[in-house]
Amino acid sequence: MSGQTFKILVTGPFAAGKTSMIQAVSQTQVISTDVTTSGDERDVKSFTTVAMDFGTYRVEGDDTRMLLFGTPGQARFRFMTNILKGDVDVVAFVVDAEATDTHAVAGVELRALLRDLRVPAVIAVNRCDDVDAARRLARSLGALDSEAVVPCQLIDPDSGRKVVVEILLTLLASMETTKTEVA
Amino acid sequence: MQKVKTISDGSLALQIADVPPRPIMSVVPPPPPSGDAPFATPGGAPLAAPAPSTAATPPAQSYTSPPAPLAPQPVVDPAHDSSSDPSGGAAGLLDDLVARFADAHGAILASVDGFSIARSTSMADEASHPAMLAAAVGLAHQLVTLGGGDQLRQLVVDHDRGLLLVWPVGDQRVLAVLADRTVDQRELRSFVQAGAAVLVGSDT
Repeated sequence: MSGQTFKILVTGPFAAGKTSMIQAVSQTQVISTDVTTSGDERDVKSFTTVAMDFGTYRVEGDDTRMLLFGTPGQARFRFMTNILKGDVDVVAFVVDAEATDTHAVAGVELRALLRDLRVPAVIAVNRCDDVDAARRLARSLGALDSEAVVPCQLIDPDSGRKVVVEILLTLLASMETTKTEVA
Repeated sequence: MQKVKTISDGSLALQIADVPPRPIMSVVPPPPPSGDAPFATPGGAPLAAPAPSTAATPPAQSYTSPPAPLAPQPVVDPAHDSSSDPSGGAAGLLDDLVARFADAHGAILASVDGFSIARSTSMADEASHPAMLAAAVGLAHQLVTLGGGDQLRQLVVDHDRGLLLVWPVGDQRVLAVLADRTVDQRELRSFVQAGAAVLVGSDT
């Protein structure tokens, strides 16, 4: 898979950890559209993405490059997801394991997005260390058993890189599948 | 020099005077009416922001009538009664703007994170509008660096039916005005700048 550029859509509910993940893994300065929050959302966190985050990741010793497009999380910014979702190769869906009130809507969003895009997904279960718990949550959101699930602590950059590795493995696997289909 | 138009409606001037001076929005003096040229440059207009002292200060001279006949006042919307107005008089100011400028049709004041603060009664209550404004301004702030600049002053959406003029107001809000291409942008900005104290609000 050398010499290729892949587009990764990083999405998920408000305050799940999307921007943190892109900040952690991007090797170029992240283009972000963070602004201060207001109203009830200020109780959750101080800054929020209003348009997009953009970061890049290049595989060492290879020309393979990933472009990471992060969406805002709130429903009122859904049009940004629609703008950014074209030609996506993998969806990285970030969800906060402890923010249980976001899970129902997150499941609806995840299923709708994957039905629409028909690309593989990596489920990054933030604030979670347990593989089984992460897998259970991903399944409850409607993720397929074949989809990669990564328990992570996105406050920690190393944890973000674990997600990137899963994204790369998923890209590899989907290319194998494509090859088989062609053959 | 910035020419501050006075307005015959004394209540607006009073509102401005009553509000303590706050940092004002900075705007570029607009280009002269540019006909149909989609990418007309500000024809020789200086790019520097006007001197801040002219903005939030009420004009010292006596009130004069605006040159254009005032459009009929909009029907009073109880939600826009300034005494109970959660936007601190901003909604009334936006209605005044639409009434004052015949070729401005609506105005929306939004928080930088995409919530509605106020809108003119001519605008529908549509949650995606303030969110789109916040997203566009958020991205425009980044595009400023592409252009080598430091500060976003104005965002213009020039479309087949007119203009959408968007300004950051303070650092927590954005203002959008829907207008015909014929709108006097200099007058419009003077009006907005005069009301900046109300538009910026106090929820920082």
